[in-house]
Amino acid sequence: MESDIEMELESDNDGEYDDDYDYYNTGEDCDVERLDPKRADPEYFEYDCLTVEDIEKLLNELVEKLNTILQITPSLAKVLLLEHQWNNTVVVEKYRQDANALLVTARIKPPTSSADAASTSAAAAAQLLKMGSSGYKAPPAVGGNANTPPYRSQMCPVCASSQLGDKFYSLACGHSFCKDCWTMYFETQIFQGISIQIGCMAPMCNVRVPEDLVLTLVTRPVMRDKYQQFAFKDYVKSHPELRFCPGPNCQIIVQSSEISAKRAICKVCRTGFCFKCGMDYHAPTDCQVIKKWLTKCADDSETANYISAHTKDCPKCHICIEKNGGCNHMQCFNCKHDFCWMCLGDWKTHGSEYYECSRYKDNPNIANESVHVQAREALKKYLHYYERWENHSKSLKLEQQTIERLRQRINTKVMNGSGTWIDWQYLFNAAGLLAKCRYTLQYTYPYAYYMEAGSRKNLFEYQQAQLEAEIENLSWKIERAETTDLGDLENQMDIAEKRRTTLLKDFFPVAV
Amino acid sequence: MANMAVSRIKREFKEVMRSEEIVQCSIKIELVNDSWTELRGEIAGPPDTPYEGGKFVLEIKVPETYPFNPPKVRFITRIWHPNISSVTGAICLDILKDNWAAAMTLRTVLLSLQALLAAAEPDDPQDAVVAYQFKDKHELFLMTAKHWTNAYAGGPHTFPDCDSKIQRLKDMGIEEHDARAVLSKENWNLEKATECLFS
Ligand SMILES: [Zn+2]
Ligand SMILES: [Zn+2]
Ligand SMILES: [Zn+2]
Ligand SMILES: [Zn+2]
Ligand SMILES: [Zn+2]
Ligand SMILES: [Zn+2]
Repeated sequence: MESDIEMELESDNDGEYDDDYDYYNTGEDCDVERLDPKRADPEYFEYDCLTVEDIEKLLNELVEKLNTILQITPSLAKVLLLEHQWNNTVVVEKYRQDANALLVTARIKPPTSSADAASTSAAAAAQLLKMGSSGYKAPPAVGGNANTPPYRSQMCPVCASSQLGDKFYSLACGHSFCKDCWTMYFETQIFQGISIQIGCMAPMCNVRVPEDLVLTLVTRPVMRDKYQQFAFKDYVKSHPELRFCPGPNCQIIVQSSEISAKRAICKVCRTGFCFKCGMDYHAPTDCQVIKKWLTKCADDSETANYISAHTKDCPKCHICIEKNGGCNHMQCFNCKHDFCWMCLGDWKTHGSEYYECSRYKDNPNIANESVHVQAREALKKYLHYYERWENHSKSLKLEQQTIERLRQRINTKVMNGSGTWIDWQYLFNAAGLLAKCRYTLQYTYPYAYYMEAGSRKNLFEYQQAQLEAEIENLSWKIERAETTDLGDLENQMDIAEKRRTTLLKDFFPVAV
Repeated sequence: MANMAVSRIKREFKEVMRSEEIVQCSIKIELVNDSWTELRGEIAGPPDTPYEGGKFVLEIKVPETYPFNPPKVRFITRIWHPNISSVTGAICLDILKDNWAAAMTLRTVLLSLQALLAAAEPDDPQDAVVAYQFKDKHELFLMTAKHWTNAYAGGPHTFPDCDSKIQRLKDMGIEEHDARAVLSKENWNLEKATECLFS
């Protein structure tokens, strides 16, 4: 059970590593970088977390603006904005250039037959734009005398019943159906999750049903709510600057004018995600590459399964060792041999600049090998990267457990009068920084996998190796936190974070 | 079943019965049960196609939400066509999926299926094996389609070579339809068909 003070510390700690945190941004960084966070921090990202009401207001303002300029109904304005990424200027421009074409592409109007002259169709478009929900009803017959009623009886092609003309509604295409049929049709479509894409009921007609006609005819509150929910989802998805927070049951919508693969963190549920693609944040890898990688991992999950073992044999005394911490610098409990969990190599060589555990060594003669050998080599290469990707992901989880254990130990210390929680705060800062660094490190592996061989890849893998070495050093020090010197730990944190930002500055593709 | 669906089907039934096509014996429709939820359709293979002279029976299931959702249609008569599964009779046709419109009728469906027999869409296949043959070995496709029309739909063209190969496999204890299906799939290569069956 956590005490209040722990909870408080934890939430403090969460905030500590947000985008504006500049623990590491001291010392030799020049003044320009300090003044301009965009240059100092490659992950700097400006965004807002908005509620459904905020967004409704925002969208309605855009709709109203278009209403005033073009004198059209809100529901036609919504369709036009939806089709143009909610860019008012583009809509107005297109309208002025060729109103008819605009309405046809937005599926408000059927394609004009060649007989229609351009001038009359523009006039028709202008008239169409002014029509309100009453405009979907056929006008009463004009010029009739006192003996003919204003509406004649008409046959509905869907239900095959004969009804008076005032029971009929039609869109700009002129296909006319009775009120009951439209209503039932809308409800079936809404039931299937379709909202603003509902089309006319006539064969081969793709004219769209605007929101106002649906809401005029559908009266059941459940169905109206559903329609509005689905429509809202479609509106948000069509707006390039808006993203639904992917957190479970979270209603927040994140807004940013910078549409890039940066990390947004929901202020309500704390879920972090890539703003561009909505998946887990994946710097330095870009959206397409991470998607390719994750698909590959899912496809090859069987092949990769055998690596997920939690135990390996000590390379020296061959005793079975279980990994229960996140650090990949292992020390055999039996013979005290220091080795690397990933490559089983001697740890001593990992500390030097010859650290090459993260780098995959291509077979230089591969082009001359048989197809069979090439296939095996390709699998070996994939497994090299996958194993490291998977391992760092596991380390992240294990280090989380380490922090929990640490918390308990410190709790005991504080209870026994050995320091206060404030004295131990730096350890949680260190653990938070470690998680942040390891997360980036994990996502460097898909990046490297898809990189073409060459000097840039060499540089990347050099920086990756440096980052990896410093992260393992940091992890090692945190696991032995109570005996590590504070200055030593802070120094290690500084180095690890510098390595991370350097790599991101050089390789994270979203830099402005 | 919803009232609207029943009244629509009843009216469409009459429409087909009165239509010009029924006079020309090109389409037909009949009831399977009293509830109007299932019907049996029939289309004639269009002239100048490998299906000419054959009669193809269709299973038509009417959903509760008809006509706002399309009827579920499947070939009961076996047919060799890129857009129709040679195994299940399932059909790949846009108006039976996303492009269905409530104002369409069973008559539209039957006539569209007839048009599909006349103009296959091998790039949007339901049966990949057939589509491959259609594109790559078109002569062989035409023969296979005619042969199937003869065997299952009463078409006029017979192919003694096909029959004798089927007989060879039947002699080995293979069911006639299985023999025909595997030979068709293997482009009537008896050796490959045998290999496929016994490996
Ligand atoms: Zn009606
Ligand atoms: Zn229409
Ligand atoms: Zn959230
Ligand atoms: Zn992304
Ligand atoms: Zn050992
Ligand atoms: Zn290693």
